[in-house]
Amino acid sequence: MITTNNLTKIYGEQKALDQLNLRVNQGEIYCLLGANGAGKTTTINLLLGFIKPTSGIALIDNMSVHQNSQETKKKLAYIPENLMLYSSLTAIENLDYFSGISKKEFSKSELETFLIDAGLQKEVFNKRISTFSKGMRQKVGIAIALAKDAKALLLDEPTSGLDPKASNEFGLLLQKLCKKGVATLMATHDLFRAKEVATSIGIMKDGKLKEQFKGDKISLSKLEKVYLNTMDYKS
Amino acid sequence: MITKTFIKEIKEMVRDGRVKLSFLIVIILLGVTLWIRIGHYQNINEQYKNATITEREVWNGQGEKNPHSAAHFGTYAFKPKYPLSLIDQGVDKYVGISIFLEAHKRNESQFSAAADQTGLGRFGDLSPDFILLFIIPLLIILLGFNSFTKEREMGTLKLLKSLGINNWKWMIGKWISLFFPIFIISSVLFLTSGILLFNLNDFGIFNWSSLLWLFLIYICYYIVFINIVLFVSIKAKKSGISLVILLSIWIISCLAAPKAASNIAESKYHYPTKQEFNTMIMKDKRNGLDGHNPWSKQAILLEKKVLKEYGVDSLNQLPFNFTAYRTQIGEEHEAEVYFKHYKYLREQYNQQTNIYKSLAIISPYLPTRFLSMAISNTDYATHWDFSDSAENYRIKTQKFLNDNTAQNTKFGERGYKAKADFWKKLPAFNYNPPKLNNILIQNKSNLIILGAWIIFSFGLFLFNSKKI
Repeated sequence: MITTNNLTKIYGEQKALDQLNLRVNQGEIYCLLGANGAGKTTTINLLLGFIKPTSGIALIDNMSVHQNSQETKKKLAYIPENLMLYSSLTAIENLDYFSGISKKEFSKSELETFLIDAGLQKEVFNKRISTFSKGMRQKVGIAIALAKDAKALLLDEPTSGLDPKASNEFGLLLQKLCKKGVATLMATHDLFRAKEVATSIGIMKDGKLKEQFKGDKISLSKLEKVYLNTMDYKS
Repeated sequence: MITKTFIKEIKEMVRDGRVKLSFLIVIILLGVTLWIRIGHYQNINEQYKNATITEREVWNGQGEKNPHSAAHFGTYAFKPKYPLSLIDQGVDKYVGISIFLEAHKRNESQFSAAADQTGLGRFGDLSPDFILLFIIPLLIILLGFNSFTKEREMGTLKLLKSLGINNWKWMIGKWISLFFPIFIISSVLFLTSGILLFNLNDFGIFNWSSLLWLFLIYICYYIVFINIVLFVSIKAKKSGISLVILLSIWIISCLAAPKAASNIAESKYHYPTKQEFNTMIMKDKRNGLDGHNPWSKQAILLEKKVLKEYGVDSLNQLPFNFTAYRTQIGEEHEAEVYFKHYKYLREQYNQQTNIYKSLAIISPYLPTRFLSMAISNTDYATHWDFSDSAENYRIKTQKFLNDNTAQNTKFGERGYKAKADFWKKLPAFNYNPPKLNNILIQNKSNLIILGAWIIFSFGLFLFNSKKI
């Protein structure tokens, strides 16, 4: 569902992404680990079509992102590190607006169902987003993805800044989506959450994918060790 | 999506305390100005009505009197306050409302409202045209300066783009949401004005089509501002930068450009001072026939010409009173002198107007202002028209009086008095302002420039859809 073939992005002299090859199938969660500047966000931006690759190709459902920008976006949902919504609108109004952009019309009860499925409590549906915590906003983001019926989900450090409980809830939500067949690519610094939810894990450095593992084939301590070695840290 | 964006933007606007406050201020200001102007309008028109009736009574009640004495006694031509001056008072405040009509002399209009005020009048009046031309564009800036920059700053733009937003539809949604409140405010003002004017004593001049045109002109003006505001919001990286740029545009187009146009026009096509103007007229008058002086060279030449024409040897043999005839010919010469010099003034005014019109390219304010004043019958052209109409009436009045003396007396006869009912035979002065069609034709270039502004600004706005 999400594929990159020799995806490369160069800014001037700087190689932000170097021949990245990865594949995330339906029902898989792929976690990209790496320090700041490793190329995780560049990968996501390329898959979203926000920037053009220098070479290589990014595919969503076997369609080139840059040749079929609008078509691929129909299959995608994206949650950034800080999901910013319209603060003066309520959760349900935000969901209604963003799902409307995807040309989907839902009744109020359907919208409420998406919010419930995203783990949001009913009492806050009609509260303005300005009163929401980051975790609650991320759940609205998930509800947007649910409403859109996205086949692929791109997450850019979504658990950064969340408390453990909220982070755990978010992880559970991802697993729920995974069971529904959504292909998820998540860029994160959170090794623990990656180990918990990922079906595959990749470690990036200087724009290159240095290591790849199956999530169930590696322990958390080993993952940490490999990560630190890759980053040239001394443990 | 256009509807969704429109609803979302309106909700955000309604929930924003600053927007609510500014809306409230504008509505209160409009209400107050309308209330003030209605009082003023009724007061002036009551005065006009009383003055017209009284002046006619004075004219009709002169009793038995020599017609030339009546010509010097004179009468007044009064200009009424036109209904749409309620919305745009134009130059009404600075030009007079009555002209004294007498023999031998074309007088300027007098009793301007500005002359009756203290120096505080320099601060200007709170009037609907001030709100419509200056404050509502500011409101548009306040409502729309961050329309696109806020999406960038908040990060919602990235989310919208990831959802595959249709830029064009999104922009249209935003455009409508900015246009809607402005349309509502303008509609309420114009509809209220129309209902009030329809029910006031307006001497039958008010018509809904003029009001509708005025409304459309202002709507076009706001459309230009909305397009510019949204264009700047698309291009600017930050809301603060967008606000500064837009306020600069407002200052240049609404404040600086009209004043610069005025200075340029005056320096290129200078208006003579009152003293220069009067001196030139006196000089030309002296070079022609003085109707009161039988010994002048021109009078003797006229005498010879008339005697020859009628084939008689003496003025006593003429079938009319030559003195009255000479007075009338003198009047006609003076009228020609006035016509020549006022024509020059008018040409200067037209040249100045052309400079204004050419500068309308840099400011949508200028064509809007011209059109607004013209449709409201409060522009300088209407005043010129009134002044010319009064002068024509003066010339006809003098002929009416001189002809009466010429037909009813003999040369050398003195002490003639017209009958007491004679004065009623002079038709009353009646001035009709230019019709809407004529106004629109005369302001064709302003309409074209305003239309060009709309096309240009829409182009700027819509051709940037890919740059979001």
